[in-house]
Amino acid sequence: MKQRLKQNRFAIIAFALIGVLGIVDYTLVPVALNNTLDQIISMLLIVPPIFLLIGLFDAWVPRQTVIALMGNDSGVRGMALAFLLGAFSAGPIIAAFPLALVMIKKGARYANVMFFLMVWSSLKLPIVFFQITQLGFSFAMLINTIMFVVFIAGALLSEKVFNDDDYQRFEEKAANEG
Amino acid sequence: MGVEAIVIYILAAILFIVSVIKDKEKTKQGVKKGVRSFLKLMPVLVPLFVIIGVLLAVVTPELIGRVLGEESGLIGMISGLFVGSVTFMPPFVAFPLGRELLDSGAAHPQVAGFLVTLMSVGVVYFAAESRYFSKKSAFYRNLISFGGAMIVIMIVWVIYT
Repeated sequence: MKQRLKQNRFAIIAFALIGVLGIVDYTLVPVALNNTLDQIISMLLIVPPIFLLIGLFDAWVPRQTVIALMGNDSGVRGMALAFLLGAFSAGPIIAAFPLALVMIKKGARYANVMFFLMVWSSLKLPIVFFQITQLGFSFAMLINTIMFVVFIAGALLSEKVFNDDDYQRFEEKAANEG
Repeated sequence: MGVEAIVIYILAAILFIVSVIKDKEKTKQGVKKGVRSFLKLMPVLVPLFVIIGVLLAVVTPELIGRVLGEESGLIGMISGLFVGSVTFMPPFVAFPLGRELLDSGAAHPQVAGFLVTLMSVGVVYFAAESRYFSKKSAFYRNLISFGGAMIVIMIVWVIYT
């Protein structure tokens, strides 16, 4: 029972939130559920090809290739590839997590995977173009340049933060779930 | 559906066809694997979208306008960072909102901090991210992005005031 509760605590929190919202202002409940439906639909529209690509990537790209391109000794080229993969993507970051896990499973360097996730979150090219049209070139690019530098530094620093135990756990997770 | 979605569909379709021609067995494996990771995501996804639905209903553009508006100062910057971190908003809503806020007199640093954390810090994704990697990893990635947003605020502040 306790175990079940723990596993589903996220769902419990979600529905408790709906309950609280209903008490505070019940007119917002249908609005919220409508938003939820919209989000699920837009997710289902974009996510299937991403998962197909993740599956094909897992089946076709050998571990040696990933190690050579993005592994511990891939250096600047590995980072550049991580950037390109993150920048030429679409979809919410939640679709990037399983892809990142497959990368780890195939032997990609952790800093590169971290960088890939960070780029996916905010430096996707289609979004950057849209951002420029809305905020203007100089303001948008100032923000993006700063974040680009922060992401590189943060990704490289991540290797100082994580120890061998952490890496081993990631790899086990990736082998089981990925 | 945006152009990028169409590109991804075309790319996936081409690679799928090539994969089928080259090796049916491997393609089957790949598709199975894709479906499996998608199904694995579903139990996290549905409650996540319920939470996002509530957030979108409560955190309206008007509310954000009030928090980040004209002369909101340091408090506006700090609240912008936090509101951006916990909220979710699709980019095609967020950036026009940023433009609107600037036009109606909000200062650049507030808007920048809000937009950066909105994109890069995902508190709502935390449970999913820790399930895939670890709590430590999810925390660290969000922390770096939050720190980056603070740096953005400071630099934008210096340049735009």
